[in-house]
Amino acid sequence: MNSPVTPFDFHQCLEACAQGDRRALQALYDHEGPRLLGVARRIARDNATAEDIVHDAFIRIWTGAASYDPARGSARGWIYSITRHLALNSIRDTRRETVLDDADMAAVPTLPGRLDDLALWSGSAKIYRCLEQLQPGPQHCILHAYVDGCSHAEIATLLGAPLGTVKAWIKRSLKALRECLE
Amino acid sequence: MKPETDEALDTLAGEFVLGTLPPEQHTAVAERLRTDSALRAAVDAWESRLLELAALAAPQPPSLRLWGRIQRSLNELAPPASERRAKWWQRLGLWQATTAAGLAASVVLAFTLLTTPPPATQFVVVLVAPSSQAPGWVVQTSDSRTIELLPLGKDALPEGMALQFWTKGPQWGAPVSLGLVKPGEPYRVPLQSLPPLEADQLFELTLEKAGGSPTGLPTGPVKFIGRAVKVI
Repeated sequence: MNSPVTPFDFHQCLEACAQGDRRALQALYDHEGPRLLGVARRIARDNATAEDIVHDAFIRIWTGAASYDPARGSARGWIYSITRHLALNSIRDTRRETVLDDADMAAVPTLPGRLDDLALWSGSAKIYRCLEQLQPGPQHCILHAYVDGCSHAEIATLLGAPLGTVKAWIKRSLKALRECLE
Repeated sequence: MKPETDEALDTLAGEFVLGTLPPEQHTAVAERLRTDSALRAAVDAWESRLLELAALAAPQPPSLRLWGRIQRSLNELAPPASERRAKWWQRLGLWQATTAAGLAASVVLAFTLLTTPPPATQFVVVLVAPSSQAPGWVVQTSDSRTIELLPLGKDALPEGMALQFWTKGPQWGAPVSLGLVKPGEPYRVPLQSLPPLEADQLFELTLEKAGGSPTGLPTGPVKFIGRAVKVI
């Protein structure tokens, strides 16, 4: 992840995909496939569904590459957004606003305990420093939502906090993060 | 939609990206993004702010069949939009000229397909005894979905023991059992539950207690072993 050798050029890759270069898509798959699958797996909590999501994401990357607009964000971000939103859509209908039962609870992966470990993972991404400034409750709301794809109700169950509190924490965290990242 | 402050818009965008909006509100925002450039900019900003959190999901190696699935789906698609722009190879004259050739080729191919026997062997594995290197079995595939294990001789099997057939792809974590094999008898395995065969895939026969390995992994001595070689 933090290897400095020739970073993968996502933008160039999308341009090549837009030109119909299948090898570019395969290079993206080889390079980013496991990470994208990890993201999908964490949200879908099921291997087969996660592979379906990554399959659909690569089809969408291929067909949409020509419409990628660099002015709207990084190519890497675009690829991850597609994958995450497909994953979120896949679970939205089935369990978004229902409270998790015990079996689901066991399936929700726990977060790494310390953000220090995370910083090592992801280099010096500023978002982690900003997250560290949040109280544990609001911080966990953001992580459970973004990484685990949890709904308000699921987060409330996980944290043992009232639903209203979770909603307020998320709003407050978003505001704090925006200010911290400005 | 009622007027909203910048902050409310930004929070809405942030929750859209987090994925915490209730389904109907999420759909409404997704719809609104088509036309509302301010909301779109706010969503784009959150996508980029939160992107690095994706690193928290541990990478997971895709199964070997996923890329094949993607490729098959791509084959069913039209080429990407930009490729449809007229390029030199898309000029009408060129196509008119090549269509006739293509038609002729497909007639020939159709005829060949109708008259050729089923697809030729793609992989072959010779399983040899590790001690003597004497070949004992041959694995061959007529397609990548079925494999045949053919005996080259008949070995005696100790009382109460069985020969168990295993395979392991170069990147698999552990071998997978393909079942119990009787000495001197051919054995066919449908590979539906496994990824497609690949070069260097390992095949082996181990000596296990009658009924097969109790652990689901090879426990007894390897009697015959070999790797898949692609036949051109």
